[in-house]
Amino acid sequence: MGDFAGKIKVMARDQLLAWLDDLAGRSTLIGPKPVGEKILYKPVRHSAEIALDFTKTDLSAKEYFLPPTETILSMKREKKGFSVEEPSLDGEQVLFGLRPCDARALRVMDALFLDKEPADPYYAERRGKTTLIGLACREMGEQCFCTSLGLAPDEANDVDLMLTEIEGGYAVQVVTDKGKALLGAVALQEVEGVPPKPIVHQEKVPILEAGKWPEHFDAPYWARLSDRCLSCRLCTYVCPTCRCFDIRDAEVSDKGIERLRAWDSCMAEGYRRIAGGHNPRPTKAERLRNRFYCKFCYYPQDFGPIACVGCGRCIAQCPVNVDAVEVLEGLAAL
Amino acid sequence: MIEQIRDKARELLEGKQVSCFIGYEQGTRGKARPAFIYAPQEVERLVWDEGCAHNLTTYLHQFKNPVKRGEPPPRVGIMVKPCDARSLNVLFHEKQLDRARVYIVGLTCGGMKDDGQLLARCQRCSERVPVVYDLLVGEKPGTVGQEDYADVAEMEGMSPRERLAFWAREFERCIRCYACRQACPACYCFECVAEQLDPPWMGIAIDLPQKQFFHVMRAYHLAGRCAGCNACEEACPMEIPLSLLNRKIAKEVEALFGYKTGQDAITPPPLATFKKEEEVPL
Repeated sequence: MGDFAGKIKVMARDQLLAWLDDLAGRSTLIGPKPVGEKILYKPVRHSAEIALDFTKTDLSAKEYFLPPTETILSMKREKKGFSVEEPSLDGEQVLFGLRPCDARALRVMDALFLDKEPADPYYAERRGKTTLIGLACREMGEQCFCTSLGLAPDEANDVDLMLTEIEGGYAVQVVTDKGKALLGAVALQEVEGVPPKPIVHQEKVPILEAGKWPEHFDAPYWARLSDRCLSCRLCTYVCPTCRCFDIRDAEVSDKGIERLRAWDSCMAEGYRRIAGGHNPRPTKAERLRNRFYCKFCYYPQDFGPIACVGCGRCIAQCPVNVDAVEVLEGLAAL
Repeated sequence: MIEQIRDKARELLEGKQVSCFIGYEQGTRGKARPAFIYAPQEVERLVWDEGCAHNLTTYLHQFKNPVKRGEPPPRVGIMVKPCDARSLNVLFHEKQLDRARVYIVGLTCGGMKDDGQLLARCQRCSERVPVVYDLLVGEKPGTVGQEDYADVAEMEGMSPRERLAFWAREFERCIRCYACRQACPACYCFECVAEQLDPPWMGIAIDLPQKQFFHVMRAYHLAGRCAGCNACEEACPMEIPLSLLNRKIAKEVEALFGYKTGQDAITPPPLATFKKEEEVPL
């Protein structure tokens, strides 16, 4: 966080709600919303729909940059020939209540989708048209381990505006020009004080550096770990940095075809099956091992950042307790 | 009870009567998780408590095939609750498993708990003793529940429009992660129709029509085969009440055919059986 020199700019709670209502009126406002028993980032029309008191959402915010399903191309038969349309995102998006881990996850995905040529135009459009209002964590969650990955629960560098809860309102940190523009004419009050620091776990999880992973590739550890894995897709879908997708054409009527991009998962049995039928990862052991290697070895070697932000959603949601922290500790002990 | 379970597991492994004993162990976050014991000295990992909700029989599918060609499939030991035992009968019935290759440690069960509360499915469970076992561990608990399909009746009370809206709201949350299918012991198709892309029966879209189609189709594929273990609903990350669909169909099957899934491995399952007296003249 920046050096506030004992003074912070604050926004009262009512002010925040009024501002969010205003934003919802002129853009697509996405915020943490209770849905049944869950809290999910959803488009909202009023600030009253937003949950302000939560640890983390059950799904990440990645669906607003890499949707579970999106049409990347539409082809319609016309009277003569075809028309081809590339759908485009309507208007601006504002993502409110983004936790620092989820914001860092976008940077991790940028390393692939933006920084590597050719950039992904669909991801790039959503990323460019979205302003991020972060919400610092008061306390690390039970399954969280962001600090072990060099992150902080109040890291502001990955959002456009960072809000930190204080008594009666929020401390506001303007991080980028985009954030400043979004704030617009909203008047902030300058007060004495320092925003509270989040409560963090004292123990750190050992993170083996990328170059040291290959020597454990053939360890029997992976087969034993994968015995209880169900080989579903849950971990990859709740994860903010998992990003594999499939592209298929689908008939929508006898006149048109849509080219769809949808989430895919390396945990699925047939994910790596190739033409001819060969499957280089036929068992759960190989697939589970690959998921960890992809995040902690291959992605950093190919793109730079570790493809994990320590959000702990995979740990919280896995029905059979495949625990990433346990795996990282187990690997360090091998 | 746990000492008896560990003793039997140790005996089976030491005598090489099984190559693996599937049970429960303490997980990392305060709840039990599935455990696979390969060595006799590791049986101390086994636990048995009110957090052992998983249906372990789904793992038997990975021991179906021989490790080495020409050998028979491995023998395994397994801990089963009464609900899980019903799944076992389905698998024996459908010739997925050889009864002789599974050593069943049957557990009498007072019900599983979540946050100190007895699970809904355990509250209405009338079976406290598994219907199939090689070794029975524990005493039959005093109180049993009663199946009344109250939740299904509530859904049946909705108009078709209300029911459609209800399920649309529930399935909107579905992320098509297939945790429900993977947790289910009766879902063992080598390639699920939901993932077949040639032709694309359901395609790849994670949209409401495809999600609804998947869940309703899966429920129908389980008609007369779902043992009511609730592994699907308990695996779902979005807390979708999947068991309502399966129990609705189970209620219909019971009413039409007088058949309850998994009571034994002999009674012909209604949807795989034709009786001459059922022939309808054209």
